[in-house]
Amino acid sequence: MQINVLEWLENTVLKYGEKTAFSDTENSISFDQVISTAKSIGTAIAERNIINKPIAVISGRHCYTPCAFLGVVYSGNFYAPIDGTLPVARINQIIETLDPALILTDSQNLKMLDRISFSCSTEVIENINQHEIDQKKLDCIRRFSNESDPLYIIFTSGSTGRPKGVITSHHSLMCYIDAYSDVLKIDSSDILGNQSPLDYIAAIRDIYLPVKHGCSTVIIPKSMFSSPALLFDYMTEKKVSSVGWSVSALTVPVALNAFDHGKPEYLKKVCFSGSVMSCKVLKIWQENLPETVFVNQYGPTEATASCTYYVVENKVNEDDVLPIGYPYKDYKVFILNENNEYAAVGEKGEICVSGPALALGYYNDHEKTEKSFIQNPVNKSYRELIYRTGDIGLLREDGILEFHGRMDRQIKFLGHRVELDEVEGTAMTLAGVDECCVVYNKDKELIILYYSGEATAKEIAIEMRKSLPGFMIPRKMIKLDAIPKLPNGKTDIIKLKNM
Amino acid sequence: MREEIMEILEELRPDVDFENEKQLITDGILESFDIVSLVGELSDAFDIELRVEDLVPDNFNSVEGMIDLINSHLEDE
Repeated sequence: MQINVLEWLENTVLKYGEKTAFSDTENSISFDQVISTAKSIGTAIAERNIINKPIAVISGRHCYTPCAFLGVVYSGNFYAPIDGTLPVARINQIIETLDPALILTDSQNLKMLDRISFSCSTEVIENINQHEIDQKKLDCIRRFSNESDPLYIIFTSGSTGRPKGVITSHHSLMCYIDAYSDVLKIDSSDILGNQSPLDYIAAIRDIYLPVKHGCSTVIIPKSMFSSPALLFDYMTEKKVSSVGWSVSALTVPVALNAFDHGKPEYLKKVCFSGSVMSCKVLKIWQENLPETVFVNQYGPTEATASCTYYVVENKVNEDDVLPIGYPYKDYKVFILNENNEYAAVGEKGEICVSGPALALGYYNDHEKTEKSFIQNPVNKSYRELIYRTGDIGLLREDGILEFHGRMDRQIKFLGHRVELDEVEGTAMTLAGVDECCVVYNKDKELIILYYSGEATAKEIAIEMRKSLPGFMIPRKMIKLDAIPKLPNGKTDIIKLKNM
Repeated sequence: MREEIMEILEELRPDVDFENEKQLITDGILESFDIVSLVGELSDAFDIELRVEDLVPDNFNSVEGMIDLINSHLEDE
């Protein structure tokens, strides 16, 4: 039994050492290079006598970033990837919660460190990626590791206005990658096209599928997702065979008529996740890639990115709604009704998940962890932690699960999780905003801010950009004399939505 | 034309300084999602049909690029 992702890497290196593991538009790196770079970085960190601590990694969208992650793992620590293009205030919040033992950055992000606040030391990847490897030290660290050790922490939107750091263990990640590989039939011949930002949960597939199987990941530049003709040509040039993308990354090429130009000729497997896929869009993909397998994945970061999958069996019709399918192998997924009992077949309730893919909780946030990861209320006999997703679902007669929206005000925008309460809370702190309400228009895929006060839309947008990531900024800001209210004093959201 | 484009851009993304930003796509300032809205709005406003091959960074990195792109379409039609 394998208990550490580095065992995967070491096995893969024996078989496929000279093969390309990761590539970007400028460089590519073989598995042999990945392991030596990671061991060098691991040794350099270990020599600082840091063990079992979080290490922030602020590194760009290139093929050395996964090496830095794996280097942190070699050192006996766990990494928290942070996107250096996030607003400074956001990075500061993350650093404050994380309290890292070290910040590891690439040279292009080095300047950024001057603008953020932290009290730990820093290290530049390029300065230690050829550090002399101390194999004995690395072996010793491994001997004291186990599969429940944290592997990484990924931060996601929190409703109280602070990002939450979801901790995932080696074991959870390995469960997910195994289950995903089975469904998508991934092997060493695959070439994956990475779309997800490397600090985002969806990127774990693009990082760890090569580590496990010896396949390759092509890191596609972000700008290509705005230029779908270039994107498709690049995917064909690189012979990309399999992608795990956000729904919006598949929607944009269709909206921009990319198939008039051509198609990604080698693409055989497509998994999409992050939000509900429109069958109008999927139909066009199916028509253009008739031999390709499409898989709808559902699940939260708290269950290692996933819970369930649905392999689309037939050609869809425009008005079909895709189910979320079956639980992945080794995942327990079930529905609890309002009385905290297992829902009957066909009865709606909250989708819950338990099993080894469950996260270890939220880092440095005992309170939120206790609230979200709870004892299964149905199980009175032994300890069984579950995560309540806050999503509504039901189990069909045929054993397939369906998704029926959210219980709270969390939405999915461009594949990212957004708590509308957090957006609203940030807007409320701004000068010139007296009252506000944030709503999501699902049909137009727009986050809309309604507000009253002196501020202009431009002022609000500029201020919000200073503390929130781009995908959380309302795309429409509408000034009102007053926010409509219900008799109980709460915002009349129905009235707002009809304005 | 410039004013009309600026108006569309300001409405789309009030937080961006379109006069001075010259790497809107390359630097990831405009999201792919913004491009979808922008292409629709520009096509309507100038009664042109943008093709997917037009959607390359050079044509959308700056307001000047967008003006050139629209002009080339207006000349063709």
